[in-house]
Amino acid sequence: MRKAMFLCFLLLISGCQKEKISFAEKVSDVFYVDNAGASMRVLVNGNTVTSAFILFIHGGPGVSSYFYDTDYIGRFLGDKYATVYWDQRNAGASQGNINGRNLNLDQMVEDLKKVIGILKFRYGDNISLFLVVHSFGGLIAADFMTRPDCQKMVKGLIDVDGSHNYPLNDTLTRQMLLSTGIRQISQKKNVDKWEPIIAYCNSHPGNFSLEESQQLEKYSTEAENYIDSIKPVNAVSLVLKYAIKDNIPLSSLVVNLLYSEDLIFNKELSKAQFSSELYKVTVPVLVLWGKYDFTCPLPLGQDFYNRISSTDKRFVISNYSGHNMILQDKKLFCDEVNSFVSKYR
Amino acid sequence: MLNKGFFILIILNYSLCHAQEDSITKLPTNHYNLKFSYLSSLIYPGVSAGIEFPVHLSKLQRSNEQTTGKQVIKAHFISGNVNWYHHPDFHDNVYLTAEWEIRRTNKNGIISEFSFGPGYSRTFLGGTTYRMSDSGEISIAKLAGYSYAMLTIGGGFGIDLYQKKKIPFLAIAKMNFISMFPYNSTIYFRPVLELGIRYMPWRLNKN
Repeated sequence: MRKAMFLCFLLLISGCQKEKISFAEKVSDVFYVDNAGASMRVLVNGNTVTSAFILFIHGGPGVSSYFYDTDYIGRFLGDKYATVYWDQRNAGASQGNINGRNLNLDQMVEDLKKVIGILKFRYGDNISLFLVVHSFGGLIAADFMTRPDCQKMVKGLIDVDGSHNYPLNDTLTRQMLLSTGIRQISQKKNVDKWEPIIAYCNSHPGNFSLEESQQLEKYSTEAENYIDSIKPVNAVSLVLKYAIKDNIPLSSLVVNLLYSEDLIFNKELSKAQFSSELYKVTVPVLVLWGKYDFTCPLPLGQDFYNRISSTDKRFVISNYSGHNMILQDKKLFCDEVNSFVSKYR
Repeated sequence: MLNKGFFILIILNYSLCHAQEDSITKLPTNHYNLKFSYLSSLIYPGVSAGIEFPVHLSKLQRSNEQTTGKQVIKAHFISGNVNWYHHPDFHDNVYLTAEWEIRRTNKNGIISEFSFGPGYSRTFLGGTTYRMSDSGEISIAKLAGYSYAMLTIGGGFGIDLYQKKKIPFLAIAKMNFISMFPYNSTIYFRPVLELGIRYMPWRLNKN
């Protein structure tokens, strides 16, 4: 009797881990990639028959890929391609024990290489893989793409408000906060809100510490709320909307985010830059940017675009977006990604 | 800060249990109760089973209420529990807990319960788990998951069906908070709603 119960239990548990690889027009497969003390969740949604895969590299560090897995993207990208959502280590639904010491950019690039390797193992070596990188994901992608033999693993790169150079990023954020703030005050818009931001920017001219960098980021998120033409995004309501449907582990999201935000790792990141290495990028590149992105301002995207050696490249600006163009101008995002992937797959 | 909060909560609860103890009658403690519960956090289901042993049972008679006969039974238990919940695509969690329980039952059978204790958790990841060596070899990890140390704390209300109906069961609804560590070098927490019964076979002998 005891043996039977134990067997039932093992079957139940192993049933949860049974390998599920779907080739269909509408799939939803979850698997984990175990590497260096972290088990990272990978969700494959949409159409796997066409063998074109779009892998999202989320921002953060510590944010999750759950935010990009919306109904709209499912409908307008997932119908033709497979969309892949990877939760980086110490983010989202990724799990582990004591693994904080492995939370660094170098390790995350190694993780990305393994995620791609396992995607190809599951769905075939011949799949066409595109990276969609956002915010901090831009730094991972810039590191990945400029390493030997890495960019041949992908067919193309889609940079959406990504950052490839944190010091430059901070400088541009400060400049944009100052110029926009002064203009808004002259138009008597949100004067009381802009005044402390301008005062802070004036008293912190450059060579930013981590604390200054984080404060600038805080102000840049805040500043988006003062621009009328931006469609606001409420991350909390977004998570709650999909919490049950997508089985989002809410407390894991929260503890991972709080932990990652508080790490010394961010100190290293605040000096990371890949501008001088970007000439190595030769694959087709699509750059999508929000006009009112204070977090990663438009000139950062232009710097990226100008420095890469790709001959097939395109730069598109959304007039209605801040830092989250994927959600704020979802039609433009899906249209551009659709045509880019169909052209280069 | 949180630790202090828990500490104060425990002290408060303990001191409440001792309030107005004017007349105490000790009751026999050589028996056990069986526990069966349905667990739920949001929509994710689970079950729990356990056994509890009383370590202290006493009947409190309040001095100003002796004429009305109002009394409270206060009991301390040690319990051992095996629990499981299933969170699709995230993990299955099998965890063992040893809890200290403090339960008060009034004459109408209304009970309040507070519990806390350590535990051990073993999770099983909610999907096939792959490993890739540096040379590019890929393997599937069997029963992939993690072991965690745990602390649980919870409280709730219920009814002792024996008091009025002489049925040896107690029904209870409890909100428990489980914490698991080290989880990604930090602490994972999860609220778990428990709807359960306690079966007290020793009461059958009393009938």
